[in-house]
Amino acid sequence: MTPSSDPAPPLPAPLVAIVDDDPPFLDAMLGLMRALGWRSAGFASAESFLASPARAEAACIVSDLQMPGMDGLALLSRLARDGGAAPVILVTARTEPRLEDEARARGALCLLRKPVAPEALEACLARAMGAGPG
Amino acid sequence: MLSRAETEILDLVQEAVTLRTTDGRILWWNAAAQALYGPRPMRAAGRAAADLFGEPAEDDAAALAALRAEGAWRGERLRPGACGGPRLVALDWRLRPDGRGGEAILETGRDVTDARRDEAALRKSEHRYRNLFQAMAASFWELDFFPVGARLHALRKAGEIAAYPAYFDAHPDFVREMMRLTRVVDVNEQSVALFGRPGAPDPKAELMTSVEPFWPEASSPVYAASVVAAVSGELSYAAETRLRAIDGREFPALFTACFPPDTMNKGTLLVGIIDLSARVAAEAALAAMRAEQARAARVSLLGELAAGIAHEVNQPLAAIAANAAAGIRWLDRPEPEVAEARTLTRRIAADAHRAAEVIARIRGMVSGAAPAASPCSANAALRDAVAMLETEIRRAGARVALRLDPADPAVIADPVQLRQVAANLAQNALQAMAGRPQARLELGVRRAGDRVAIEVADDGPGIAPEHLPRLFDSFFTTRAEGMGMGLSITRGIVEAFGGTVRAANRPGGGACFTVELPPASAAGSAPFSAPFSAAVAAPAADPSPAPAPTGADRRA
Repeated sequence: MTPSSDPAPPLPAPLVAIVDDDPPFLDAMLGLMRALGWRSAGFASAESFLASPARAEAACIVSDLQMPGMDGLALLSRLARDGGAAPVILVTARTEPRLEDEARARGALCLLRKPVAPEALEACLARAMGAGPG
Repeated sequence: MLSRAETEILDLVQEAVTLRTTDGRILWWNAAAQALYGPRPMRAAGRAAADLFGEPAEDDAAALAALRAEGAWRGERLRPGACGGPRLVALDWRLRPDGRGGEAILETGRDVTDARRDEAALRKSEHRYRNLFQAMAASFWELDFFPVGARLHALRKAGEIAAYPAYFDAHPDFVREMMRLTRVVDVNEQSVALFGRPGAPDPKAELMTSVEPFWPEASSPVYAASVVAAVSGELSYAAETRLRAIDGREFPALFTACFPPDTMNKGTLLVGIIDLSARVAAEAALAAMRAEQARAARVSLLGELAAGIAHEVNQPLAAIAANAAAGIRWLDRPEPEVAEARTLTRRIAADAHRAAEVIARIRGMVSGAAPAASPCSANAALRDAVAMLETEIRRAGARVALRLDPADPAVIADPVQLRQVAANLAQNALQAMAGRPQARLELGVRRAGDRVAIEVADDGPGIAPEHLPRLFDSFFTTRAEGMGMGLSITRGIVEAFGGTVRAANRPGGGACFTVELPPASAAGSAPFSAPFSAAVAAPAADPSPAPAPTGADRRA
C-alpha cells in the first residue's frame, strides 16, 4: 500500500445502511460489507434507521422486505415521499413469485432473495454507487 | 183376487207388494207398500198407478210388453214416498191370474234409495282412493296381511310369543315367513316402475307375489318393527330402510304403512314407498363436495406451511451465505485474515444450528399425528417451553416469570404436544411484546375448579377486541410475516385432549391466554387454595413474587 500523495484529507467512504430484523443475518451482512470494503451501519428496524443520522448519510440502503412494524416496501415509499433518497436494495426470505415486479414498481433498485448470492449483491451495490468502494 | 190368508201372509213380507191390473189400476197393496207409499190399502184400491206415482203410461206399456215376452220385468222407478221425498224403488213384475179369467200384475217393490246412495258414496270414495293410489308419485301397495295376523294370533294363543319384538329378534326366519305370508293385492304404476323388471312382458304380474322378495335380509328388522306397530294398534309406521326391486337391485327408501282399523279388520293394509335414491345420491354428492373442500383446504394449508417453512429456513441460510461470502473475501486477500475467517466460520456453525432448530420446531409442530395421551406434568411443559425458546427470549430481552403449581398437577395429554402448546403461546406473547424495553413473559400453572389451567401472559399491547373472536382461526394473523397457524394449532391440540383455550386482555394491559385441561386423576380434583390462584390471576397488578413460587424470575 503506497501512502496517498493527495494533500486533501480523504473523503469518508460511502455508507451502506443495512436494515433487517433478523439479528444473525444483520451481523452477517455487516461482516460481508466489511469484507467487501464498504463502510456499513446496521439497523434492526426501518423506524430506527429513519430516526438515525445514517438516514441522511447513507449512499445505499439494503433492507429486508418483511419486518414487524414498517416493512421494506413501506420504507421505500417513505423515502420516495421524502425525496432525495439513496437507492434501495430489498432482500427477502419469502418465496412467492412476482415479488421482484412489485419491488421494482415501488422504486427498489433490485430485489434479492435470501440466501443472497454475494455476486448479485455486489452487482447491485455497484449499480447503486456507480463504482466500487472508496 | 187375493184370499184373506194370502193378504195376511203378504202383510208380513218386508217388500212392498202391489196387485195391479194390466191397464194400470191398483187392486190392493200390502202393509209394507202402505209404509213406503203412504195411502192405506183400502184408499189405494181402484186408483190409477200412473196418477198415484206420476209415472208415464208408455213406461207401463213397455214394462208390460217385456213382462209378456219374458214372463218377468225388473226395473227401478222413482216414486213419491210416504214421508215426502222421492224413493227409488226396485220393482219386480210377475203375471198371475186375477181369479176372474183375466190377468193381474203382482208387483214387488224394494226401497233401494239408501242402498243406492251408500253405493254411490262408496263408489266415489273408492274412485278417489283408486285415483290417489294410481296418481301419487309414491309407490303404493295394497297388502293382504290376514294370514300373518292369523299366524300371530295362533302363536300367541299357544303361548309361544310373549313379546313380539323379542320374538322377532330371536326368530329371523319367522320374520321372513311373515313376509312370505304377506300377499300383494295390488300395486300402482309407480310401484311397477320402481320394483318391476324393466322390459318384462307383464312387469306388474311379477310383483303379485308375497312381499318377501322386496325385503333385503338386512332390512328384516324394519319389516318386523312394522308388524309390531300393526299388531300393537298403532295407526301407522314409517322408517328409512333399503328395499329390493324384483331384479335384485337395492335402493334406499322411505317405507310407510297405514293400519286404519277398518281395513285392518279386513286384513288389508296400505303401504307407501318413496324412493330415496336421488336424495341419498344428493347427500353423497354433498359429502364428496365437502371432502373435496376439506382436501383443498389441506392443500392450501400445506402450501402456507411450505411457504412458512421456506421463510423460516431461509433466514439462517441467508446469514450462512453472507458469512461464508465474507469469509472467502478475508481468506482471498493477499494476506489472508484468518482471525476474521474464524469468527465468521463460528457464526456459520451457529446459524446452521439455528436452521436445524427451526426444522426441529416445525417437525414438532406437524408430527405426532396420533398423539399418545398420558398423564404428564403441566409444570414440566412450561419449564421445557421456556428452555426451547431461550434464544427468542434472549433476543426479545424479556424477563420470564414462571409460577408453577407446587402440587405439580398432571393432565392427560401428549407431553411433546403440551410443550408445543406452551411454546406456541409463549412465542406469541414474545411477538406481541416485540420492541418493548421492559418485556415481561409470565407463565403459570394453577388449579381452576376441576381442571388444570396453564396461563401465558404478556404486557404487550393486548388484543384488539375485533380480533378476539378470530384469534384461533387458521391463517388469522396480525403480523405481516405470520402464517396464522400457531394459535390454530394450539387450539387443535388442546381440544384433542378435551381441553379449552381462551384469550383475554388483562386489566393492567397485555393479553392472557388460558388453557384448561382435565386432570389426570379425579383424586386431585379439589380446587387449589385461593392465594396462589389470586396471585396468578392478577400478576400484572402485583409484580411481587407469588406466595409459593417454585419457578424463578430471571432475566434471560
